[in-house]
Amino acid sequence: MAMAIDNAFEVDFSSYSTTTITTTTTTTTDDDPACTWNDWGSPVLDWDSLSSERDEFQDLIESMIDDGTGLELARVGHETSNSVSTYTMVAKEETNDEDFKGLRLVHLLMAAAEALTGANKSRELTRVILVRLKELVSPNDGTNMERLAAYFTEALQGLLEGSGGGHGKHLITNGPQHHRDEHQQMDMLAAFQLLQDMSPYVKFGHFTANQAILEAVTHDRRIHIVDYDIMEGIQWASLMQALVSRKDGPPTPHLRITALSRGCSGRRSIGTIQETGRRLVAFAASIGQPFSFNQCRLDSDETFRPSAVKLVRGEVLVINCMLHLPHFSYRAPDSVASFLSGAKTLNPRLVTLVEEEVGPIGDGGFVGRFMDSLHHYSAVYDSLEAGFPMQSRARALVERVFLGPRIAGSLARIYRTRGEEETCPWSEWLAAVGFKPVNISFANHCQAKLLLGLFNDGYRVEELANNNRLVLSWKSRRLLSASIWTSPDSDL
Amino acid sequence: MKLSSAKVPKESKAASPSHGGHNQNSFHSKGRSGHTILPLQPVDELEQWSSVAVDMHNNNNHHQPQNSHTSTSRSSDYSAGGEPCATGNKWASRLLRECARAISDKDSSKIHHLLWMLNELASPYGDCDQKLASYFLQALFCKATESGQRCFKTLTSVAEKGNSFDSARKLILKFQEVSPWTTFGHVAANGAILEALDGETKLHIIDISNTLCTQWPTLLEALATRNDETPHLKLTVVVTANIIRSVMKEISQRMERFARLMGVPFEFNVISGLNHLGELTKEALGVLEDEAIAVNCIGALKRVAVEERGAVIQMFQSLGPKVVTVVEEEADFSSTRYDFVRCFEECLRFYTLYFEMLEESFAPTSNEKLMLERECSRSIVRVLACDNDQDSEGECERRERGSQWSDRFKEAFSPVGFSDDVVDDVEALLKRYKAGWTLAQPHQDETGLYLTWKEEPVVWASAWKP
Repeated sequence: MAMAIDNAFEVDFSSYSTTTITTTTTTTTDDDPACTWNDWGSPVLDWDSLSSERDEFQDLIESMIDDGTGLELARVGHETSNSVSTYTMVAKEETNDEDFKGLRLVHLLMAAAEALTGANKSRELTRVILVRLKELVSPNDGTNMERLAAYFTEALQGLLEGSGGGHGKHLITNGPQHHRDEHQQMDMLAAFQLLQDMSPYVKFGHFTANQAILEAVTHDRRIHIVDYDIMEGIQWASLMQALVSRKDGPPTPHLRITALSRGCSGRRSIGTIQETGRRLVAFAASIGQPFSFNQCRLDSDETFRPSAVKLVRGEVLVINCMLHLPHFSYRAPDSVASFLSGAKTLNPRLVTLVEEEVGPIGDGGFVGRFMDSLHHYSAVYDSLEAGFPMQSRARALVERVFLGPRIAGSLARIYRTRGEEETCPWSEWLAAVGFKPVNISFANHCQAKLLLGLFNDGYRVEELANNNRLVLSWKSRRLLSASIWTSPDSDL
Repeated sequence: MKLSSAKVPKESKAASPSHGGHNQNSFHSKGRSGHTILPLQPVDELEQWSSVAVDMHNNNNHHQPQNSHTSTSRSSDYSAGGEPCATGNKWASRLLRECARAISDKDSSKIHHLLWMLNELASPYGDCDQKLASYFLQALFCKATESGQRCFKTLTSVAEKGNSFDSARKLILKFQEVSPWTTFGHVAANGAILEALDGETKLHIIDISNTLCTQWPTLLEALATRNDETPHLKLTVVVTANIIRSVMKEISQRMERFARLMGVPFEFNVISGLNHLGELTKEALGVLEDEAIAVNCIGALKRVAVEERGAVIQMFQSLGPKVVTVVEEEADFSSTRYDFVRCFEECLRFYTLYFEMLEESFAPTSNEKLMLERECSRSIVRVLACDNDQDSEGECERRERGSQWSDRFKEAFSPVGFSDDVVDDVEALLKRYKAGWTLAQPHQDETGLYLTWKEEPVVWASAWKP
């Protein structure tokens, strides 16, 4: 079905080879002060090991703490000897060095988040912990955890310095960009290609939505899709292929796509909306798909005015809202809300929504959300590694181009609201404002399973809620959810 | 915050003391010349370990103004008045104090967490905060695991193994070169001793200290240059720290040689191996009836077990001295010794000052600074993590403030003020060092003189008569 055909569209991107990937070597700090102090050498302390910069005493403490057993604290009266702190418990589970280091990084990150926002917050302490973290991690080398920790460290550093996050509604995750940088373009394209190759995230979102759309418009002659964030438009290439090769129903329906464009496009993108439009027009022509393309400009405050969308009688309206695919940037909640509520007034037959799954919003405040975010991206990193186990440089590119900025943006958002904001998932929001859920068909669900079967068997798909939601998980961590809706008055 | 790994430049002992006619320079005679004799400049050559008329201006020139590199610990956490808060809002002191409280509250998961965090962030080679974190962490860890005694023994034996006359001497002299922490007490004490024993012909100074006799060359020279007949000086050094014992032989040779050079009739004895200072007797010290006795205690009383301090002072009284000079660091680990958190805070306050002082006085990659910091680590472990009742000889480190010592001494002695001449000498001494050091005179009920650094009193010197 939809799966087999997207290769055709990918011809545009395949010319970008991986030679554009650049790696930076980390500079190792010169850390051997041992030479001048050996005069005072002693048989007990091995001064020659100063190159590791930590003396044996620190390592002793560390091993005793990590061990959990050696640290026999002074008689503590009524306290049971095994405190239920997560440190001792988790420490006992891990046995090898890498895991130790990973655990240590997690603890340090948590300590930094705590120091930044907790009850006894201290910028000074945060700064010092981040310095320590930076000594231990690098965005290009090491294990998943180390690279991930590097991005989280950087994100926290940004928060500490006050430069993280956007202002007002616009979450520009990577700073102002006055012109498209050639290299950045190439990097992004290469990274996108890699992302597609090593993981099913993008395809999952697109195919689930497309399948639902196809099923909803079987007897229609004209389809109008309003796309919140068209990006490179690859979703519609697949849809067009499917429409063209439909066996039943009327001849190929006319497809019109209205793409929302933002006035001040400070965010990085793989190309402008116009380019996407041109590409889609050309592609449609090449496969014989009747097609037209419109743009709908949003104001600078990204308020969606439904009246700005040109509606044509006889067209079935579909609203497509892809939110958190890995290569997307975050959109401000106000913008999304404005779009979806505006869309409701247009009475669409179908609304397709793809968003990330976050953990349950407890009362952990910033630190709780921070740790959840860490868990989330850790799962993403692991899933990418499963997809490309030997290609750490390739993964590092994807991390640098897409995930790093996502992490920074995500943390900035959480920080601004101190984790207090009641950000419920958009699917809940849709249900709350009156949209009706639409069942995910058996075929759609099967398609998703087949898709995942092409990748690693760590991926799982579940059907949830009112059967209108498919959730993609890596191992036990839910990552991405696709849901289908219809207008309150619709008779779907 | 790592120390730069650049090799420490070979320090050139540039001080070339001028041999200007020292006969004309007296310590403080009536017609004082502009020159006064102050503690020695460090010199390399063995034979030059003599005091000569130190040309103050020369020395000032040789003192390179050391970069007052601001360590990162001095970032933005000062109190509104711009004064440094010794234990203000800096991360290390906060974490340490929290940990101390957690230990006192026996909150084991909190202890665990804080120890882990301190361990991550501390480093004995980092900035002030990191160093304090490192050394105090060691003490807290020992306290939490009840391993203080063992740790202390290890640290001590490590230090002793590495000890040598050369290294010890180099350390003390370098410290005296960059900071008046120790020389302050020497100058004040010497001044008081000379005044009290003026006119005597047979002097017997009982030196209870671990200063490697760096105090005495100046005094010997003063004796030698007085207009009157040079008196006979007997110097009996009572050594209380094991570390110093091994080097006293070399010191006695040098002292005797130096005295010969100065032309001072001299006798030198060393007493070591005492279990308790209180056991000293006139006989053991070789005190003779016709001698004028001065008892000089530099940093020695803090090493006496708290319960025995009264007895030690009584013992001084029994020696019939003309003057007792006492110099101690200004901190109170004694009255707080049963309250861990309060004692900890006082300890942290004092050592923060001390470490900051070291940081600003020495070059960034100084070996000597590191040695001094390591010495502190032993004291800190001793005070915080070793139980009170196991003080074997000279291992106690429970300092008391000047006012507390005064209260003790007042039982058996009465205070002697320092004369204007001595005060002048001290002030002249302080001018030789970097800014930040001042002299504070006592208030109403206080006795002695205080050396202050950044307006905090750090060392107390006093003199007593029967």
